[in-house]
Amino acid sequence: MLDDLMHLVRGMGVTFGTMFKKPVTIAYPEVKRPVSDRFRGRHELKRYDNGLERCIGCSLCSAACPADAILVVPAENRDEERYSPGERYAAVYEINMLRCIFCGFCEEACPVDAIVLEHEYELAAYDRREMLYTKSMLLVPTAAGVGGTPQDTRGRDVPFRMGGMDYFKTPLEVKRALPAGPSSVGAGE
Amino acid sequence: MATNGSAPKLVNVMIDGRPAAVGAGTNVVDAAHAAGVEIPIFCHHPKLVPVGMCRMCLVEVGTPGVDPATKAPILDDEGAPVIKYFPKLMAGCTTVVSEGMHVRTGTPAVAEAREAVLEFLLTSHPLDCPVCDKGGECPLQNLTMRYGPGRSRFVWGEKFHYPKPVPVGPLIALDRERCVLCARCIRFEDEIADDQVLGFENRGRGMEIVSFSDPPLDSVFSGNTTDVCPVGALTTADFRFESRVWELESRPAVCPHCAVGCNIGYDTRHGRVLRVMPREHDAVNEIWLCDKGRFGHGFTTAEGRLTHPLVRDISGALVATTWDDALTRVAEALKRTVAEGGPAAVGGVAGATLTNEDAYAFGRFLRAVVGTNNVDHRPKVIADDSVHRFGAGADTIVHALGAGHAIVVVGLDAEAEAPVLFLSLNKARRQGAALITLSTAPQKLDRHASHLRAVPGSEATLLAALVRAALEAEYEPVDGASVPSGALPNAAVPNAAVPSAAARVLADRLADHGPAAVHGVHPVDPDAVAQAGKALASAGGVLWIYGRSAVDAGLVPLMAAYAAATGQHGRAGTGLVAVGRHANAQGVADMGLTPDRLPGHARVDDAAARERLADVWPSLPSSEPGLDAGAMLAGGVQALYVLGTDPVGDDPALDLRANGVRTLIVQDLYLTPTAAQADIVLPAQSAAERDGTFTSLLRRVQRTYAAVDPVGHARADWKVLRDLAARYGDAESFAAPSDVFDEIARAVPAYAGLSYAALGPAIRTAPTDIFLPFAPLTEARSVSYIGTRYENRHGIGAAWLTPAEATYAAGDTAAHEAVAADGGEDAFAGYAVAADDALHAAAGDDLVLIPTAILFDAGRLVASSTVLHPLVPRPFVAFSPFDALQRGLVEGGRVRVTGAGGTFEAEVVVQDGVTPGTALAPESLGIAVRAAVGGERAGRVRVEVVAAGPIERGASPTPAPRPSSSPSTTATVTPGQI
Repeated sequence: MLDDLMHLVRGMGVTFGTMFKKPVTIAYPEVKRPVSDRFRGRHELKRYDNGLERCIGCSLCSAACPADAILVVPAENRDEERYSPGERYAAVYEINMLRCIFCGFCEEACPVDAIVLEHEYELAAYDRREMLYTKSMLLVPTAAGVGGTPQDTRGRDVPFRMGGMDYFKTPLEVKRALPAGPSSVGAGE
Repeated sequence: MATNGSAPKLVNVMIDGRPAAVGAGTNVVDAAHAAGVEIPIFCHHPKLVPVGMCRMCLVEVGTPGVDPATKAPILDDEGAPVIKYFPKLMAGCTTVVSEGMHVRTGTPAVAEAREAVLEFLLTSHPLDCPVCDKGGECPLQNLTMRYGPGRSRFVWGEKFHYPKPVPVGPLIALDRERCVLCARCIRFEDEIADDQVLGFENRGRGMEIVSFSDPPLDSVFSGNTTDVCPVGALTTADFRFESRVWELESRPAVCPHCAVGCNIGYDTRHGRVLRVMPREHDAVNEIWLCDKGRFGHGFTTAEGRLTHPLVRDISGALVATTWDDALTRVAEALKRTVAEGGPAAVGGVAGATLTNEDAYAFGRFLRAVVGTNNVDHRPKVIADDSVHRFGAGADTIVHALGAGHAIVVVGLDAEAEAPVLFLSLNKARRQGAALITLSTAPQKLDRHASHLRAVPGSEATLLAALVRAALEAEYEPVDGASVPSGALPNAAVPNAAVPSAAARVLADRLADHGPAAVHGVHPVDPDAVAQAGKALASAGGVLWIYGRSAVDAGLVPLMAAYAAATGQHGRAGTGLVAVGRHANAQGVADMGLTPDRLPGHARVDDAAARERLADVWPSLPSSEPGLDAGAMLAGGVQALYVLGTDPVGDDPALDLRANGVRTLIVQDLYLTPTAAQADIVLPAQSAAERDGTFTSLLRRVQRTYAAVDPVGHARADWKVLRDLAARYGDAESFAAPSDVFDEIARAVPAYAGLSYAALGPAIRTAPTDIFLPFAPLTEARSVSYIGTRYENRHGIGAAWLTPAEATYAAGDTAAHEAVAADGGEDAFAGYAVAADDALHAAAGDDLVLIPTAILFDAGRLVASSTVLHPLVPRPFVAFSPFDALQRGLVEGGRVRVTGAGGTFEAEVVVQDGVTPGTALAPESLGIAVRAAVGGERAGRVRVEVVAAGPIERGASPTPAPRPSSSPSTTATVTPGQI
């Protein structure tokens, strides 16, 4: 009988003792816990210091993705409309955050360190469609005073499969890059 | 069937301990492939002559040792020959196998050599695989991963850098940093395409691929260089940065552009065709594809396509409607016409681009449901049953022919009308086949052929001279010995059956048309004709390949008579081959889309055919032939159904209304000029959107599969015709194209036994061993074991047998000869070797204008391709240098050409090889050439100079106006208004 009472006292002792210790929980969302440097949160598409996009539209992230969450449609840079250094950029870049498992393979596959899983993790939305993160959402803003890429002026782009059909309308880039072709009069044909 | 009739000698070799028996002359790389051992290669290609440039195939090679004193093989203790290995590594591609040769590919020395070669090839490689279109299907990537050192001693910063990419031609981009200088592209153009357009420039590290032709890379096969390129140096313009190759979904199909029937794959992503790649077919296109087939896929996009059925509203404008409404209106209009004027008041004209199913359904609807024989197709190349009776053997493979065969190309510009057939002919010529061309216009094939130039209008006399010369040569006694009656000197050749009586009759009939008769008529030496005749006579088989010009000139009966009289048809490499201008010219004729022929080439009054069709069709049409396309378009019918052809586009002056056509129904991809005149327009599906079969010029029936979804509400033609027939109460309800094909198999005797199941997996009607031993046709195995992948996993189709061939294949040679002898008489009966003296150009100041074919024409299928469209030339007329000098014509100037039927203006081109007194004008360039010459095959024209010098080109760099999506007519289309 007395033995049982002692158990109760000992238990309450733990309870009261805890009142004087530092709490383990935090008051999320008012208070946010810093995450590890290696935390894999929401993706960002990085830029070079001069504002050009790092992404070259090579689709290796998409190929590496085990959840098939990434869609890339490449296109060719032109000197008068340049998105990234080199010949190629991503005209469409989308991540379906509902599919993403945050494994970071895309980051590992990226040959130009364009895609990085950053620390943001608050990714809830009221509509599934909002979970299709388009390129304008993923691309980081340019530093102050640095010009961006032509796409920045377009505002939020429409997801590819929901009518973001730029891809279907613009003539393929290279056809402009290559000469209009000789005005050959096909002798002998 | 070995081409020369004897089996190749086999050589036994041992590769990495695996024995293999390969043909003498095989190189070590191919022998290893046969033995199942991979030797990595860059510059070697199984279709090209080895050069040993890349050194990737270095292997250890040994031969059985021989005692120098006794010349006896050195044997070891156990009695096996001692293998003496060469002290240094040998390049496998340039080393030919010898008896008892041993090859080692797995030794440390070989591995070290491969590492060294790869490290060296990569010294200046940019390693930009992530942005390279070849990445993912790149032999350099694959072989580096497999055999490379994994490190490099060369400093990144010291790599060579070039501006990239440079356009090496209008369709091909060159990235010089990636090039490994294997010369595959150069060798392809030189050897296979016979276009000397590419070469090396500079030397050492500065060496690069350049095009030295003007215009650059002037070859209609340039796309193949990107396939054979083992790195990403050459890439195509249409696919540049479109997608990574592993993201593509490849759908098998048959090329819809010409009659060769090349096997292709539509590589799609997101329901859009991004590129076209060849699929390997060793009996059709090997691994090649022409640029029209590869780049002409713009028609698969929605741009400008019809999306809804259109009908006239009360104001006469075309407005969109539902299928149900449109079909009901069609049925009502046709029924009304029949009620007023009988079935003969209705007619139908189809294009030769339809699938067999669509063509059959069209003929079936008009004949069996409406009850009219007014059915025709255009342009019509197969107008009679010559091919059906005297066609080439079903196992004929043009590029497998060689020494002992003769090929006569008559009235056909092979490169323009059937480009991949040109490659096959060129290969046959290189293998020793005698190649003879007979035409009124020059072509590239003439370069290495015995070319017989005919004057327009009198082609028949030249062909008659050739045939007479051939028959004379066959009768010519060998070494003075008299030839016994009934036997020709080459009777020992297996391919020459000997119905000599028929041959003698034919020779006698042509007695006045011997080679000597061409003197003074044709610009050709009579001796050359006699020589060509000898070549035909001495060949074991003669293959006649003819095009539209030959048909127009009425040459077919003569060729058929020769084939029949000598028995040279229905076996490999002998007989007639008709080359239509469109993909399914043969199939459309087989399906009976001609006014006087039922499906299967039977005459409309043929009792047996009518009995057969009575079981299949709900009713039979009359046994009187109907009107042909020309008569129908001229107003011979009151209601005209036009399916997949554009007569008004070809002749803008044609006004079907004024001609008396009261109801016009047009079913097409685009709102063509013909459709703009129509009462009811129905949207059709493009070749990339439909399932079906095409029949190639060698009569091979091949499956094609839908690659993308239909544009808008477009429907398959057979489905539309089925629904129309249902409105007539026709109970037949095809559910799938295979159902239509099954009925074709019942209606067309030659197609009996064929089905989609049979066409799918690899089958053959006759065995062949002409291929390298490692690539039997019955296996879907790739010969091109390095390069972009091409495997054909979807079946090789089947070529139908001619009736004569079928009896012969059944072992009944007597019947074959009877058919031949009888047929020769029949085919030639009533034929007169005609010469149109009126066309002889010598008289007067006029020239004779000859309509010619051109590959990149202004037709919708080419114009819809963004990259091909700039290559379409402006309308031009080609003159001989002689006439140009005499008339003061300067290249680039402008002339007005006036003929009996019209006038047009065009640019001047001065071209070597044009017969003086003639001028060549390509059709389908937006000028009505046929109309100008009065619809004939050639006509006298007057030429006036409009502008003497070259026209200023700066103002309008675009050669020909690209057809807009809606032609300039009063018709207005309001889609969405349903």
